Amino acid sequence: MTFTIGFLVNPIAGMGGAVGLKGTDGLLNEAIRRGARPEAGNRALGTLRKLKNAPFRYLSCSGSMGEDILKAAGITGFEVVYQTVRNTSSEDTRNACAVFEARGVDLILFCGGDGTARDVYDTVLDRVPILGIPAGVKMYSAVFATTPESAADIILQTGVLVRHLRDAEVVDVDEEAYRDGDLRTRLHGYARSLYLPGLVQGTKHVLEDQDESRAKEGIGRFLAEVILGTPDILYLIGPGSTTGAIARELGFQKTILGFDAVKMGRLVSSDLNEEEISRLLLNEEKSRLIVSIIGAQGSVIGRGTRQVSPKVLRMIGIDNIIVVATPHKLSETPVLFVDTGDKDLDKAFGQYISVISGYQIAQRKRIGVMTSGG
Amino acid sequence: MQTKIVLDEEEMPKRWYNIQADLPSPLDPPLNPQTKNPASPSDLAAIFPMELIRQEMSADRFIDIPGEVQDVLRLWRPSPLYRATRLEKALKTPAKIYYKWEGVSPAGSHKPNTSVPQAYYNMKEGVERIATETGAGQWGSALAFATMLYDIQCTIYMVRSSYTQKPYRKSMMQVWGAECIPSPSTKTNAGRAMLEKDPDTPGSLGVAISEAVEDAATHANTHYSLGSVLNHVCLHQTIMGQECREQLASVESYPDVVIGCVGGGSNFAGISFPFAGDKLTGKHPEVDIVGVEPASCPTLTKGLYAYDYGDEAGLTPIMKMYTLGHDFIPPSIHAGGLRYHGDSPIVSRLVHDGVMRAVSYHQTEVFDAAQIFARSEGIIVAPETSHAVKAAIDEALKCRKSGQEKTILFNASGHGNFDMSAYDAYYAGNLSDYEYPDSLIRESLNRLPKVP
Repeated sequence: MTFTIGFLVNPIAGMGGAVGLKGTDGLLNEAIRRGARPEAGNRALGTLRKLKNAPFRYLSCSGSMGEDILKAAGITGFEVVYQTVRNTSSEDTRNACAVFEARGVDLILFCGGDGTARDVYDTVLDRVPILGIPAGVKMYSAVFATTPESAADIILQTGVLVRHLRDAEVVDVDEEAYRDGDLRTRLHGYARSLYLPGLVQGTKHVLEDQDESRAKEGIGRFLAEVILGTPDILYLIGPGSTTGAIARELGFQKTILGFDAVKMGRLVSSDLNEEEISRLLLNEEKSRLIVSIIGAQGSVIGRGTRQVSPKVLRMIGIDNIIVVATPHKLSETPVLFVDTGDKDLDKAFGQYISVISGYQIAQRKRIGVMTSGG
Repeated sequence: MQTKIVLDEEEMPKRWYNIQADLPSPLDPPLNPQTKNPASPSDLAAIFPMELIRQEMSADRFIDIPGEVQDVLRLWRPSPLYRATRLEKALKTPAKIYYKWEGVSPAGSHKPNTSVPQAYYNMKEGVERIATETGAGQWGSALAFATMLYDIQCTIYMVRSSYTQKPYRKSMMQVWGAECIPSPSTKTNAGRAMLEKDPDTPGSLGVAISEAVEDAATHANTHYSLGSVLNHVCLHQTIMGQECREQLASVESYPDVVIGCVGGGSNFAGISFPFAGDKLTGKHPEVDIVGVEPASCPTLTKGLYAYDYGDEAGLTPIMKMYTLGHDFIPPSIHAGGLRYHGDSPIVSRLVHDGVMRAVSYHQTEVFDAAQIFARSEGIIVAPETSHAVKAAIDEALKCRKSGQEKTILFNASGHGNFDMSAYDAYYAGNLSDYEYPDSLIRESLNRLPKVP
């Protein structure tokens, strides 16, 4: 059966950034006043030109939300399944994705920024794989390819034949704070996305690095053994599908976006807020925090993580934080950022951090300096 | 100043040095894996020739190198000792750095020093075929070369991750007429069991050893051969350290520091045992002997000193050594030859007793060091060797700080001409700095039942 791609462009994505606005949401008129022109279509063209000769079928939207760009790339095998009005909105992105899903596409390829990623994800969740062509002002979600051309490479090399799928974070960025030079990301959800295993270790070197689910299973098995081997320690397990593998190994379901407490391998309580965590910690002699790396920029405990405040981190102690990530995730984030919201606490992490990346395996990663203020 | 110190062929050592003679007390004996009693020579006779078993257990200080073996060794021995003046200059160190260059052997490493005598003794006993394992392919290619000389068939189980990474080592084995199979394979029970457990496993030296031992034990005409770890292998490698001592003496020098990389321990043993013997017998009690291992597989620095199996399936004798556990599968670093869960029982004992010490490094920093070496001395070393280079550079930099004019000797055990994919990954920024999370691993093992 022909591989079918649902293709859409957020035509206004990136316009704010081009004229010095850190985002376009709610600021389109200001962006136009400052002379911004739609650029997203051109970015998407870079991807489509490389896909032109591949035997794919496309479902798309009318006009600048898809059709115009497909035509410009010389692609004829497409069908317009969603009609747009002149000024498109996030509503159009969501409606189009709903149609794509109903028509059973194999992949949704969208062009935009974090806001677009969120709209796509909110509609199809993890039911349909998604891949982003970067065109927005902010692209901190892990569903984006690094360039429009590499989005095409990923589809050509992995999408059709082997289907290397992984969980990829979609993040919310606080627009107001971001405009003030302060990056606050919060995990919004986990989409399914395509990835290139070859990105790890350059070529086909490291067999265990190539498989996300295998790596997660290894991390889960190892840390489940650690938890069972330390019955006196309370573990707080943070959001994510990598940390979720630990819970799976221990035989319970973790809340995907929340913090759950575990002791002796058993779930103590789930989806805790800061106050509940503090109360719980008061009664514990020793506790540990297990967190995964969030977002395309590789942050450990992003300050959007409201449940684990600097106060909670001090109660647990920095030495008791276990960071987990798959080798593929680590290969995409050469430097990690610690962003607790408290500079002194950030500094206490030092220059390097050891990240558990497999069964009985860790990787040493350098900790970078946040440049986005705050 | 002399750059290259070369001995005449007649000056090549005629005897191997057996450090067992100078240990303050005998080694803890290897145990039979079934009975758990001390292994007897007959336990080993199914897979090794009797002369190697005798050497394994010998307490004689010196053992003669057969004339026919010497004839072959003279193809590349004595190997040169270099004074690394360009590296010293690059590091601005007052230290004197010497390196023993073993990349001149046909297989490009120190490994033929033992593959040749091992194949020779097997030939003498009429053995028709030898099975072995190889990590990075250094040992496999060395044994392929040696078995070809004595017309013995050779089957090599090569750790799968290296088989993929280093296709040219496999080609070398073919040139010399050996059969090379990626491990785990479907040819043995051990391989099939591993594949069933984990079809995508990168393999490990421990699994490959199980396969080769099983192959030898189940074929009447076949013996097994090991490229490191065992006492007789370390013995054969002492020809390097003995030559170094002669070469340094010819320029009226003796090392303050002796350095080698450690996987199973034979290259480190070979360069250092003659000096460790001087230390044990009080001739040079101050010499500092340093084994260098990867942070991802830190057997000597983070392992337990205990009895453990030498292989994954538990077919080999149980040996007292530093170990990370025989079921530990190290991550696939480029220094494939250093991915071994255990270590030579003699090296382990000497580290345990404080005669030697060990350090560990991450993957990226050893390639940084290898690059400094290549850009000063010209030689591109194997990823395994780059661990020794890194430690030598660090010692030399310490001298820069302290002003001490120490003499540093390290073993440049092999060239990296077939490891360029590893250098490619280094330049692409794709090397992962794997670590061994030892305290968490210890905690994870708490839940296991304790065996008395």
